[in-house]
Amino acid sequence: MHTFAYVRPTTVAEAVAILDAGGRDARVLAGGTDLVIRLRDGSATPTTVIDLKRIADLRPGVREEGGRLTISATTVMTDVAADPLVRRHFPALAEAAAVVGSVQIRNRATLGGNVCNASPAADTATPLLVFDATVVAEGPGGTRRIAIDDFFVRSGVTTLQRGELVTAIELPIPAVATGSAHVRRTRRRGHDLASVTLSVRVDALGVTRFAYGSVGPRPVLAVDDTGVLADPAVPAEARSAILERMFADASPSPRSMRASPAYRLAMLRVLGARALRSAIEQLAAGSD
Amino acid sequence: MSATIIGTSPNRVGGIGRVTGSQQYVADLRLADVLEARLVTLDCARARIISIDASAALALPGVRLVMTAADLPQPVPRFGPQLEDRPVIAVGETKYHGDPVAIVAAETKDAADAAAALVRVEYEELPAVFTLAAALDPAAPLVQDPALRPGDRLASTNVLREHPIGWGDVDAAVADVVVEHTYTFPMVTHFAIEPHAYIAAPDGDGIAVWSTIQHPNWLQKVIAKVLGMPLAKVRVFAPDPGGGFGGKQHAKYEPLVALAAIRAGRPVRLVLSLEETFQAVRRASCEVRVRTGVNRDGALVFEDIAADYLIGAYADIADRVVGKGSYPAAGPYTVPNVRILARSVLSHTVPSTAFRGFGNPQVNWAVESNLDEAALAIGMDRLEIRLRNIAHRGDAFIPFDTPADGEWSQTVTRAAELIGWGSPLPPGRGRGIALGIKSGPTTGLSYSTVRLLGDGSVIVFAGTSDMGQGARTVFAQIAAQELGAPLDWVTVVMGDTAIVPYDQQTSASRSTVLMGNSVLMACRSIQAQLRTMAARLHAVDEALVGVDRGVVHLPDRDLSVIDVLKPGLGRLGGELTGNGEVRKDADPSHPLSGAPAFFEFNCTAIEAEVDRETGDVTIVRHVTVSDVGRALNPLQVRTQDEGAAIQGLGHTLMEHYIFDEVGRIRNLGAIDYRIPTSMDLPLDLVSETIENADGPGPYGSKGMSEGALLCVAAAVGAAVREAIRVPIRDLPLTPERVWRALQERETA
Ligand SMILES: Cc1cc2nc3c(=O)[nH]c(=O)nc-3n(C[C@H](O)[C@H](O)[C@H](O)COP(=O)(O)OP(=O)(O)OC[C@H]3O[C@@H](n4cnc5c(N)ncnc54)[C@H](O)[C@@H]3O)c2cc1C
Repeated sequence: MHTFAYVRPTTVAEAVAILDAGGRDARVLAGGTDLVIRLRDGSATPTTVIDLKRIADLRPGVREEGGRLTISATTVMTDVAADPLVRRHFPALAEAAAVVGSVQIRNRATLGGNVCNASPAADTATPLLVFDATVVAEGPGGTRRIAIDDFFVRSGVTTLQRGELVTAIELPIPAVATGSAHVRRTRRRGHDLASVTLSVRVDALGVTRFAYGSVGPRPVLAVDDTGVLADPAVPAEARSAILERMFADASPSPRSMRASPAYRLAMLRVLGARALRSAIEQLAAGSD
Repeated sequence: MSATIIGTSPNRVGGIGRVTGSQQYVADLRLADVLEARLVTLDCARARIISIDASAALALPGVRLVMTAADLPQPVPRFGPQLEDRPVIAVGETKYHGDPVAIVAAETKDAADAAAALVRVEYEELPAVFTLAAALDPAAPLVQDPALRPGDRLASTNVLREHPIGWGDVDAAVADVVVEHTYTFPMVTHFAIEPHAYIAAPDGDGIAVWSTIQHPNWLQKVIAKVLGMPLAKVRVFAPDPGGGFGGKQHAKYEPLVALAAIRAGRPVRLVLSLEETFQAVRRASCEVRVRTGVNRDGALVFEDIAADYLIGAYADIADRVVGKGSYPAAGPYTVPNVRILARSVLSHTVPSTAFRGFGNPQVNWAVESNLDEAALAIGMDRLEIRLRNIAHRGDAFIPFDTPADGEWSQTVTRAAELIGWGSPLPPGRGRGIALGIKSGPTTGLSYSTVRLLGDGSVIVFAGTSDMGQGARTVFAQIAAQELGAPLDWVTVVMGDTAIVPYDQQTSASRSTVLMGNSVLMACRSIQAQLRTMAARLHAVDEALVGVDRGVVHLPDRDLSVIDVLKPGLGRLGGELTGNGEVRKDADPSHPLSGAPAFFEFNCTAIEAEVDRETGDVTIVRHVTVSDVGRALNPLQVRTQDEGAAIQGLGHTLMEHYIFDEVGRIRNLGAIDYRIPTSMDLPLDLVSETIENADGPGPYGSKGMSEGALLCVAAAVGAAVREAIRVPIRDLPLTPERVWRALQERETA
């Protein structure tokens, strides 16, 4: 393995300073389930690796405050999936966290790492999009709050600036009843990277938010506020035109060996319909 | 001490070490002064090597050696179990993606990795053939230098050999219905969990080699020949492998590592990554065209089978796989007219080698699937057509070969019962049933030594490799049974050619039968000595003394072994030693150079559910029944059966190499080459055995560790076909492929 300096700052300010000084040659390490693999295969060659796990202010955890849930960036998937607040308010996020990798991976993989790695297939990206999350970044210029839809650029690239690291993800607790679901398509049942990820959220006001990943350079958010998709009474034909519009931004790569574009696009529709059904059922059950 | 331990399932000998991590695999061994090695490969399928500059690599701290073909004795030594066609390192040309051009050895693995990246190879990429169509094109570049194949009429083609076999007259045969289809089987790799690893260390005037090899004695011969040393100066250590599946049968990089160790004057260690393992071992892919002739009453009239196996750039054992695997392609049926033509086709791909099932799964997939098509064509039940044609005990179903050595219909009937054949199915589900047969070992030579020590404990020396199949346990059980020692008083010594007597190989599900018989013979020799001893001690006629299961029977009473042994050995103590030798010589008149010692017979029945929207296949129930003669250790038999069944689901549902347009493997490693995990298992997996004690092994056993893999694909394919009513003739049955088949049918 390529050699690098390994540092364990204890404050965010210290980490930011090292990150800023290192620029492209410095990399943040959280759970390491993406980074260590890249260090080993030589596709990432930082000269400094900054481990976040000693920073007291970045201790993992979920807290409710001022009408929103704040999830520390270093919270691992196992804990996100099990957290009662996440499960109550953001079931699709809990479902997504629960299907990342395997038990061992989920015990290591952090929410911040999943988002910052910016894989088009990142499982938590789509629920964060439908729940209108905000990424909280700390950098040389202070704190920045970035809407999640403005965060992803393409695989491995975000709108984080030099010296910035992510400290937390914030999720506004919905004011109205919602139902949500996360689904994915893999080549086997055992852990696998998804060839389609999809989350949906419907609310009592009739707004449906779809987000889907792995079918283009970054995960995509699409919103229907006509009320048509959220209404189970609307006939299938009436919905299908809107559904088509929702999925219009999917542009899967023909180079991928995981699935052909035709299959991904077809599965997007199958998964979309299935997830929508569960979300509507959940909404109906919740508002009983 | 007359309780039987045969037929029971004691804890596996060595099992605790395996599951607690204390067992030392080759990659765990730490020799003082060892250098870590790394192979240098090119990122293309085929290239002409122009020059290799190692100066930058050698300048790195800790780098001790960069060795290329130019540093070796000329001509560069070649080796191979069938043809000595494989140079120890690429000479002039690389012939597959991963073919090494140099080996680097350094004080640390990191230094070796860094140095390997600095070895500058100037090369010209050459056109490569990596599909059957390209390899068989008359204009295709030749994979092997025709000079290596003097006098061979096929030398100017990429067909290494043809294997025609048959009987009756297919062309003259007239059938009511003829069904013809072409099937393909993917290129897959063994994926043993233990990495392939090699260490070589100069050892006085000889050499010691540690390898994850299945055939240590064979490796000893290869190393001795390459190095020009007598066998006695080559000591091969073969610690129990962590899974082999055939991929570890024959030498791969051991000769190279041995030459590097001699050149460096220090031990050298090479541990392959999973990615490198994909570039070292694989199963041959295959395309099979089958014409099946059947009469309306279900009688099979003929099978006409042409199977092209895509083997790699060097023969390894691949051509034997083709010949032996295709030989029983017509299946366990009495078919009056059969024509089989199998060809091994060279290509610029990783050399294919032995892999559990040894060439049979490829043709089985095609021929069993085509039998279903024939049944459909005449409107006969798929189980019925099989039972209508199955060979019964004693039938010479291959006319010039060992007749059917079991009543196989019992196995089929039991599997059908267990799957509920004929009972109504919920919508979206289908069932399939398939029969698999494989010829057991056609030659063999297994020596063993058993020592009954002065206190009644036992040491068994057997050169089998226990790679997880449980050979240690079975041999210990045999010795315990015959000599009356408790199982934990038996030690089984394996894996050291300086100590353990010669064994030809661990393959073809042979060890329980061949080495098992050898150990039994060694124990029986000790029993004979005990008889003599007892007769002397008790002044009775030896003919009146019997020894059985560790009990010495005198005319008037029974004694334990120890009651005879202790006084018999006297004040100085000592021990009794017995030797076993089981020899199955080659028979040059036989098409396979020998009739099989037994047949492995399996019936697999599947119930599957298909999600029509996504193409997902769920194996609801997987039934595997094998005719094993007698299960000496029922738990081990079951776990072998289950393991084979699940491994079969890999090539059936998800595993395959993916190549880019220029012949590089795109899905090297675990991320994009998917094998079944615990979550992909059948919802219900049922394994049963048929036991009539009619095998040639100890106590009536037969070999059994490959059977349950043979016909998985055909059984699953049949279930999927019934569920979706569309045939799919290419494996693996990935969700996308199943979905596509459904789409095509809808648009058709
Ligand atoms: C076997 C396996 C299976 C997997 N399966 C899945 C799956 O099913 N779904 C899925 O979505 N992912 C999967 N992954 C990917 C990975 O586990 C996730 O992306 C994980 O959430 C990454 O988190 P981490 O803490 O391990 O990140 P790390 O590896 O530590 O970091 C990932 C990247 O983010 C940066 N980073 C991390 N934290 C911060 C921060 N706070 N601020 C700024 N930058 C930061 C790092 O510098 C690095 O570039 C899998 C990985 C493996 C090895």
